[in-house]
Amino acid sequence: MGNLMSTSFAPECTDLKQKYDACFNYWYTEKFLKGKSVYNECEDLWADYKECIDIHLQKQGIKPMLDEARKEAPFENGGIPVDKSNEK
Amino acid sequence: MVLYFHNSHTFPHTFETATLAYFNRYPNPYASHVLSIDTIDRHIDAEGRLHQTKLIVKTGRLPKWVKPFLGKTSTSWIIERTVVDPSSQTMQTYTRNLDHTKIIQIQEYNQYTFDRELNQTTNNTTVTFSSGFQGLGIKNRIERWSQSKFDENLKKSRQGLRYVMDSIRDRLHLLQKA
Repeated sequence: MGNLMSTSFAPECTDLKQKYDACFNYWYTEKFLKGKSVYNECEDLWADYKECIDIHLQKQGIKPMLDEARKEAPFENGGIPVDKSNEK
Repeated sequence: MVLYFHNSHTFPHTFETATLAYFNRYPNPYASHVLSIDTIDRHIDAEGRLHQTKLIVKTGRLPKWVKPFLGKTSTSWIIERTVVDPSSQTMQTYTRNLDHTKIIQIQEYNQYTFDRELNQTTNNTTVTFSSGFQGLGIKNRIERWSQSKFDENLKKSRQGLRYVMDSIRDRLHLLQKA
């Protein structure tokens, strides 16, 4: 949120992404953090953006690695890695 | 073996400014290597915490001697997971690279906690570096290189964050005055 907004990995989705991001930023600060809303109110913009992203992700070789990573639970140990520095 | 890196930093900003800046930290003048960032998942859990998953694409900044293993690829895909707890004003983040993991896997864990009395947000960082190479010589060399490079990278990413935080704080001030 400097003066420019970030882009999507798929140029076709950048416009949808920026509309969603703008909605999210407002909702996050004005509603969510203030405890006024426990629902994300950017649902329609999110659906359009996500549809675009999903289509373009299918074409990327990264998809299998991403799906694996999404199954991980990095915050289980309080969000701190289990220190294995003594292991070889 | 896995190498570790720990660091702590305090931002003179509210939790609102700090976390909003984190979500909007790209683009900034200190992150020209970041090409894109997308939200691919988000939900609010039963405890009212906001979970988001993002996908970031960066251009690789790897040393020349790693290039033979990479071939033509110069970009890297990163997954970012975040959880914001609005009641305790804490945020946890986790990022790791999705590709080139055999060469080097960098996992970054961050906690952002807000101190109401001091009106500041503290960020604790832990990073792990592990290379999947079998040859111990090259494995250690890559891990040590990544670790040494990280200090420099962290400085840049904090400068970027601070830049975005300042501009967000100014904007929030304007909004409140209006």
